[in-house]
Amino acid sequence: MGRILFRFSAAVSMLFALTAAGFAQGAATAPKDIVIANNANFVSLDPQDTNDNISFSAEKAIYQGLLGFDKDMKLVGVLATDWVASPNAKKFTFHLRKGVSFQDGTPFDAAAVKVNIDRLADPANKLKRHSLFDQVEKTVVDNEYTVSVYLKAPFGAMLNNFSHPGAMMISPKALQDYGKDIFKHPVGTGPYLFKDWVTGDHLTLVKNPNYWGGPVNYNSITFRSIPEDGTRVAMLQSGEADFIYPVPTEQLQVLAGQGGIVVKHDPTVGIQYASMNTMKKPFTDIRVRQALNYAVDKDAFIKVVFNGIAGTATSCLAPNTRFYSPQTPYPYDPAKAKKLLAEAGYPNGFETTLWVGTMSVSIKAAQFLQQQLAMVGVNMKIESLESGTMANKIWNVADPKDATIQMYYGSWTPSTADADWGMRPILGGTMIPPKGYNTAYFQNKEVNADIQAGLDSADVATRKAAYEKAQKTIWNEAPWIFLSVPQNIYAYKDSLQDVNLLPDGTLSVYSLN
Amino acid sequence: MLKFLGRRLLGLIPILFFVSVLIFLFVHLIPGDPARLLAGADASYSDIAAVRSRLGLDKPILAQYLSYVSNMFHGNLGTSFRTGRPVVSEIGDRFMPTLLLTLVSMLWSFIVALVVGVISTIKKDKWQDYTVRFGALSGISLPSFWLGLMLMQLFSVQLHWLPTVGFNSWKGIILPSLTLGSGIAAVLARFTRASLQEVLQEDYTRTARAKGLAYNLVIWKHALRNALIPVVTMAGLQFGYLLGGSVVVETVFSWPGEGRLLIDSVGFRDYPVIQGEMLLFALEFILINVLVDILYAVLNPQIRLE
Amino acid sequence: MSSPLPPASPTDAGPAAPGRHSPAAEFWRKFRKKKVGVASGLFILLLLIVAVIGPSIAPYPMEKPDYNHILAGASFAHPAGTDEFGRDIFSRILVGTRISLWVGFSSVFLGAVFGTFLGLISGFYGKWIDTLIMRFCDILFAFPGILLAIGIIAILGPGLGNVIIAVSIYGIPVFARLVRGNTLALKASVYVEAATTVGAKNGRIIWKHIFPGTLSTIIVYFTMRIGMAILTASSLSFLGLGAQPPTPEWGAMLSNGRAYLNTSPHVVIFPGIALFLSVLAFNLFGDELRDALDPKIRD
Repeated sequence: MGRILFRFSAAVSMLFALTAAGFAQGAATAPKDIVIANNANFVSLDPQDTNDNISFSAEKAIYQGLLGFDKDMKLVGVLATDWVASPNAKKFTFHLRKGVSFQDGTPFDAAAVKVNIDRLADPANKLKRHSLFDQVEKTVVDNEYTVSVYLKAPFGAMLNNFSHPGAMMISPKALQDYGKDIFKHPVGTGPYLFKDWVTGDHLTLVKNPNYWGGPVNYNSITFRSIPEDGTRVAMLQSGEADFIYPVPTEQLQVLAGQGGIVVKHDPTVGIQYASMNTMKKPFTDIRVRQALNYAVDKDAFIKVVFNGIAGTATSCLAPNTRFYSPQTPYPYDPAKAKKLLAEAGYPNGFETTLWVGTMSVSIKAAQFLQQQLAMVGVNMKIESLESGTMANKIWNVADPKDATIQMYYGSWTPSTADADWGMRPILGGTMIPPKGYNTAYFQNKEVNADIQAGLDSADVATRKAAYEKAQKTIWNEAPWIFLSVPQNIYAYKDSLQDVNLLPDGTLSVYSLN
Repeated sequence: MLKFLGRRLLGLIPILFFVSVLIFLFVHLIPGDPARLLAGADASYSDIAAVRSRLGLDKPILAQYLSYVSNMFHGNLGTSFRTGRPVVSEIGDRFMPTLLLTLVSMLWSFIVALVVGVISTIKKDKWQDYTVRFGALSGISLPSFWLGLMLMQLFSVQLHWLPTVGFNSWKGIILPSLTLGSGIAAVLARFTRASLQEVLQEDYTRTARAKGLAYNLVIWKHALRNALIPVVTMAGLQFGYLLGGSVVVETVFSWPGEGRLLIDSVGFRDYPVIQGEMLLFALEFILINVLVDILYAVLNPQIRLE
Repeated sequence: MSSPLPPASPTDAGPAAPGRHSPAAEFWRKFRKKKVGVASGLFILLLLIVAVIGPSIAPYPMEKPDYNHILAGASFAHPAGTDEFGRDIFSRILVGTRISLWVGFSSVFLGAVFGTFLGLISGFYGKWIDTLIMRFCDILFAFPGILLAIGIIAILGPGLGNVIIAVSIYGIPVFARLVRGNTLALKASVYVEAATTVGAKNGRIIWKHIFPGTLSTIIVYFTMRIGMAILTASSLSFLGLGAQPPTPEWGAMLSNGRAYLNTSPHVVIFPGIALFLSVLAFNLFGDELRDALDPKIRD
């Protein structure tokens, strides 16, 4: 309690100091210093203990991994120049880039890689990204610039895990020096150095003069958290921000007509859907599930909800995901929907409830679905639930029979951009709540087998075949109303270079090549 | 007076303890699993379990309560689930911005309220009365997010006079405090007017007027002083309320204050931060109430401090 | 004319009971001279009528979408334009009148009843009762409204009824503190002291001498809170905790519409005007009512 009282009086006296400082500061910014406005607060600067894209965005300017994604989500070498996977998908060997050092001068070598992979693989560290490396048996330093990682079981998608931002390399010396506080003292090999971080306000990075990749574009980058959509747009318009994301679709029009501002939108690796609890009536009947797919006009959905800025879902995976294979869309056909419902024994429709989060665009989507389903006689009630409440209602259910979930509107963005993480957690039979995110309670033997087959192999052709089959079955079984592929929408001053929002939702502030 | 103060401040300790128990219970009653929310949108089951055990949420509730109490006695409120930083510094960092915004908003709205209250009393039922009242009431008839966004559109985007956001320059406080203060000004002006008119009907002001004192002097010297009692109560309430941070204004203007911290923490069920915030608000309120009681006595000697 | 004035205490049967010596006729004689008061009263009456018949006079069903006329501006077919689903905004405002007024009235009423009761007791009896009630109020205050709302709605479930409960709890400590402040002053005043000397019972003193004196404060704050309650409900909608879609509660219309503030402003302007005028009417009406109700003000 004493501390609080102290804070109280200290704050009062500091208030005056702050006001004085505030007057002294001007708004003058040199052209080489840029401001990026995003919608949430930074949580951590330890990539191995991060799970939000906002934090990853800043971390990716400071740190680098062995592998990475370029702006088209293609796997590229960053700190590794080349790599070999054993045919059984159990051993992965990397040849490292020479002459790279961390920002604190520590050389980057095989020993440094081992320190990082060991840190990630050790469950005792309780890192948020441990699961990317929980299959690692051991990491072996072959020589100064070669390192091999051995897995306990075959895992075909492992290279995607290495390219995940959660697998970026931290200076072993910094890990030693800062211990648990590494999250606020980041030291990596990237082009930008950490300068300061005022929680809830801003985070500033400055140029790394010794960057191995050559000259760095900007003297400094300041990230600001601006939660209100309209405010971010206003900041770009008034020149206070150089790059803003996300841009709400409703505001596109305002920015598009303004000179000197570029508005861009690219497809993400995400997918939007309305799941139906396949263990509960009436959704146990495949005809009902297909009927609802025919009942929703996806083009109108995209036009009304996303102002036309979204793609139509053509599988349970987004086209940017590895091993995506397109399916024949369910056309908008309310008559057919009614016929299927009648065949299933619901000529007058039925009543159901859809759970949705509290974001206004999600509620808009839910309302659209409500309107569409009403036309085929399905009376869908909307329950908009705050995130914690929703989590409880979905995952505090031990026995599937006790689940109260009927329909759920959600989206899924596999951060590895691979088919495995794109399907298994949301449609895999082992992943029904509370284990995973399979809100449709979808359990299909063939799909489960295909997913397992894809997991057990590192052979591209084998994996491709397995995932193609799985996608086909899922599409036909229709555990979801397949809706849309969201887009990343961002806007920036046309003078800006090399700042890109990647399909996985993280920002890249320099080009990898 | 000193004795009164001492007793009130001593009385704080059991109250705060009681409040802290209530807070703990309430926070844990709200549905929602912090581990799942913190682990992120696509965390695996084992990730979530790891987070849960790291946060100590796998321990029995009694053990969690004991560690909360023991933290409290050590003058530390634990560490944030979300950022791993001490709660004291999480809350401390947000305190100055909130206090600054609160003080500036209170100051201008109190002055405006007094002026409006007095004008509309002197010119009661005349056009001046209705004009100032319409002006004041408009401030409270608009949702603050709407007012804030409109002000921003006008002064930042169109006219380029003021920054849209910015805790880092003095200009940055103008729009948020205008948005926040307009509602308060309206409330306080209402109370000033109502209270002044009431006091003017009372015997002693009528006596004063009968004695031939100039009308304006009566208002300023006698009436205003007595009329201030409900106004001060209201201002105290508003002040305490504002110190809790305004979620809407802080969100619209990206002001790094307590309100945004609270709403973010609630979203993630960051128990230690929520508990710390609530404890701080409780303390602020109780202190302000003591202050209001003292002001009562200063303004009206008829009221004795018990 | 007296119908919009809600009883301000659980035992208060009639609206126009300002004091021993002022019957309803006296109040009406004074009130009808106040043009702004009568005008705002009439506007509130109109709102009440719309609240009753709104759904039946609305030109379109409020939930009917028209995807070919999304965000259309005001026209003869749609006097207030259409929203993001092509729904008629004018119809939604008409239907929403009932919902918004209901949220405003019922939540403030609940808060006022409990708050006034607590405030009277606290101010009059003083000592430990006062301490207890005021600390209780402090605790209620210290619970940030948003957190309280999330808690209540998480436990009881989403929906309008629970929004009303959440908003009413905001009001309890406010009324309690204000009424207590007045009670303290009144207790020290001459006529209460006289009554105490004569030996009147406490209940009677509170009811006959103190409560009427606090009434003007209660009324002023009651009318103002109605607007605030509607706005609070709108910020709950803004957090996704308000009325569930497609309910056309004005606050929800405003907070959902803010995304179109600079592209299709009519989406927020018309519900905004409805909200603005209603709140203004309640506030002005409260002022004028106070002038006419206060037993100490003579003309």
